[in-house]
Amino acid sequence: MSDISKSIPKSDSAGKIAGETIYIGDMVLDDMLHAMTLRSVHAKARIKSIRLPEMPEGYFIVDHRDIPGDNCVNIIFDDMPVFADGKVNYIGEPILLAAGPKRKKVKEIIDSIEVEYEPSEPVFGYSKSVVHHEFEKGDAASVFCKAERIIKGSYSTGYQEHIYMEPQGVIGLYEDNKTTVIGSMQCPYYIKNAVVRTLGTGQENVRVIQAATGGAFGGKEEFPSLMGCQAAVAANKTGKPIKLIYERTEDIETTTKRHPSRIDFEAAAGEDGSIEALRVRVFLDSGAYIGLSGVVLQRAMIAASGVYTISNLSVSGDVYETNTVPNGAFRGFGAPQMFFAIEMFIHHFAIETGQDPLALRKRHLASMGDPTSTGGTFRDPIIMGDMIQKAIDMSGYDEKIAEYSKPGDHRGIGMSWVLHGCGFTGSGEQKHIKAVVRLRKEKDDMVTILAANTEMGQGAMTTLRKIAAGVLGIPIEKVIYNNPDTDLVPDSGPTVASRTVMIVGGLIARAARQLKEKWVPGKEILVEERYRQPDYIEWDEDKLRGDAYPAYSWGVNVVEVEVSPVTYEVDLKGIWAVYDIGKAIDERIIIGQAEGGLSQGISYGMTEVMECREGRIQQRNMTDYIIPTAGDCIPMEIVIMDNPYPLGPYGAKGAGELPLVGGAPAVALAIENAIGKRIDRIPATPEYIMELMENG
Amino acid sequence: MVRSYIPKSYGEALDILSKGDLTIMAGGTDLMVKKRNRAGLLPSFQKDVLFLSGIKELSYINKENSSVRIGSMTTLEEILYSKQIPSLLREAAAIMASPGIRHTATLGGNIGNASPAGDTLPVLYLYNAMIIIESKRQTREVPIEEFITGPGRTTFGPGELIKEIVLEEAKFNVLYYKKIGGRKTDAISKVSFAAGAFARNGIVEDIRMAFGAVSPRVARDRGIEDSIKGTPAAGILDLAEEIRNGYGNIINPIDDQRSNAKYRKKCCMNMIDDFLGKVFAEQ
Repeated sequence: MSDISKSIPKSDSAGKIAGETIYIGDMVLDDMLHAMTLRSVHAKARIKSIRLPEMPEGYFIVDHRDIPGDNCVNIIFDDMPVFADGKVNYIGEPILLAAGPKRKKVKEIIDSIEVEYEPSEPVFGYSKSVVHHEFEKGDAASVFCKAERIIKGSYSTGYQEHIYMEPQGVIGLYEDNKTTVIGSMQCPYYIKNAVVRTLGTGQENVRVIQAATGGAFGGKEEFPSLMGCQAAVAANKTGKPIKLIYERTEDIETTTKRHPSRIDFEAAAGEDGSIEALRVRVFLDSGAYIGLSGVVLQRAMIAASGVYTISNLSVSGDVYETNTVPNGAFRGFGAPQMFFAIEMFIHHFAIETGQDPLALRKRHLASMGDPTSTGGTFRDPIIMGDMIQKAIDMSGYDEKIAEYSKPGDHRGIGMSWVLHGCGFTGSGEQKHIKAVVRLRKEKDDMVTILAANTEMGQGAMTTLRKIAAGVLGIPIEKVIYNNPDTDLVPDSGPTVASRTVMIVGGLIARAARQLKEKWVPGKEILVEERYRQPDYIEWDEDKLRGDAYPAYSWGVNVVEVEVSPVTYEVDLKGIWAVYDIGKAIDERIIIGQAEGGLSQGISYGMTEVMECREGRIQQRNMTDYIIPTAGDCIPMEIVIMDNPYPLGPYGAKGAGELPLVGGAPAVALAIENAIGKRIDRIPATPEYIMELMENG
Repeated sequence: MVRSYIPKSYGEALDILSKGDLTIMAGGTDLMVKKRNRAGLLPSFQKDVLFLSGIKELSYINKENSSVRIGSMTTLEEILYSKQIPSLLREAAAIMASPGIRHTATLGGNIGNASPAGDTLPVLYLYNAMIIIESKRQTREVPIEEFITGPGRTTFGPGELIKEIVLEEAKFNVLYYKKIGGRKTDAISKVSFAAGAFARNGIVEDIRMAFGAVSPRVARDRGIEDSIKGTPAAGILDLAEEIRNGYGNIINPIDDQRSNAKYRKKCCMNMIDDFLGKVFAEQ
């Protein structure tokens, strides 16, 4: 049998290249109405009155009074309304929809609605905690009591906007007592559950279908539930298909982003220079509604000691509510903030205690059998030692760091080490997701994968088909994977958390083995598999204790830069990375994930600026919110290791988020090396670098 | 409802312009953004639109004696690849926007748009560009410094359009161009700087500097330039502080969503030093 990693053409590429793929924006249904959203212009206010214009025939207003069920978007924490009811909590909060056959008229209606507000004092910054978690490992408190030397650091990170190529969009329909939502999304069942709740109806009355999705990066994890609910309510009210598509500025201003953060460290230095105890405090800005911010906080906190084993650890964190656009899921989910912070801090700790940072990091590097931050165990082989050596050799790190550290040299090199827990945190898979997949063999021996996971450009469709075909020993053309439709596929869980290949792919592999055993040519056969947590996993959800993840992917990233002393601009000179994702199911797809993720991470670290002033996002379009173009990218050298994970399909672990996580610290460390000044925040823009170089 | 006019000839364009108040579309890569409406709706033009970019008579690059005449509808891509064009202008065109935009955007459009961040403008100032403006009734020549009066503001009169741009020949043996944007391509300038100098036998015979995106108009100060001319290149670094202070008075950048005033100003000062260092090295 040929190696599974050998690349094949991606299932979705031909249609996209030919321009034949139909996205939600392309769909036109009979009698369809276009909807637009009226939004709050205040960060915090009571709505005193809304004056509507006289409505022409065939045009509708849809607001909170039209919601038959809960006016609440079903996300983890239930605080976001579908439509504002009497008060608004951020600029851009949806108040109502206007819908009708002509977009121009709908816009005129939206523009002529008069809302009378009574503004009140908005909350910004880290002052109003709404979620708190903490956990301990060892006994940090007594180490700190006796500590001779305590080193401190405080790090902050900014927003990051997804800039998926296709903005958010859904269509809601209502026919024969059944509501259907079609849209660009990652998680069909999230939307289904949200719509069921908002409509106050039965599961059988709601259907969700994924349209071809033009990128997501986490931005289409929970956010589309809001639009799905709105379109569903509007379709129920009007009896007509409702198309709700955001344009770019609207999407940037009003959809979720990566949480800005501040992370404070205190470390007790031992006599031998090691970190004896670490105290970590995490501040996350959730925006106006909590949504899934509590879970993002957990992932950040669990990563508090990075890839290092630190015996005494005390971690606490809070989610702070502010009157700004709600923040949500974004590739990495709390880990990019923490890995930036811990990688910088361990460097700064080493420098302040007069040690070689690399030696200190190697000394603390976790190895197989070590306890994790939450007192679980790293059960699987950790091959970071080899990976680090490989990265050092490829990049010439040792020679370069020595040379670039000389005063007056504006070149720099930085290296980050990261891990990423694959799948949902703790027992999430077992307790909350309960994934189910089915394989159905038809009489013609074609096999359809029945699962709810979505292709969004990342290659899920190709990878999952490859796994099924590989196990069954049949050609890939015999395996079908359609965009999920909740009426046809079981809930295999959301397409998030680097879980699709490892968890869902694992279930598909198991189902395929089952089908292979039962295989009778020419006969219809249906098999099913359900997720079972490995027996050894123990997780205390309240205390955040035990094995936080079933498996970890690992990465080493090296970035080389040159900083201009004239303009303070950063030129990327070299990028190298080594990843352990168990096993690549398709090499080209993995390299695509790696290059894209690392670019997104580096850009998070040095380029992407988004500021919120008095609750208003300042960079509202792609001219002002800068992401790298092809002209900003340089060739990367990426090595994928083979380190099969026994429970993953063909040994595969998660890969989607890992490459992003280490981009920011690698580039920030490189800039730090180039300018000889300590970097405490990202993005490390030329403006910030100027301040550091000129003022110290 | 606005009307669109697509003239077949330059004469026809002048005729149409003489009869009404029209918005001139000279490529439209900025205008279409300014007039954009919600997705799926037509752009929101208030006036009738005259499409100029199809007029072949306005697309040319001719080197005549000591000057280069550039038709106003010459695209930035044509400028980028023309050997007749001074290298600094080609350099400015090369890092403007993206190939798609450069194939559509025109030099006349970049001037008529009169953005303080217009990327060709500092170079045009440096070459003492004359803007040839015509209406059905008259032709006039205006130096670019007088043509652009403020952000988006020009001395266009009724019925007028830019026919061509004339670049005066300039002899430089030190050239300097830098555009600072948020990324390497497809970015609006935070700051741009074009400069040229000619030093012979150790004496600075000519020196010019122009700054983009740091004041309402491109900043060039002939007084400062004149004060440097005739000085020995070897001593130019001694003048650096005085020169920086001089420009410091006319450079008034702002804080905005792309950068901040402090950074913009500091970069200008650094680029002056960097440029003077190159002039010094040329002695």
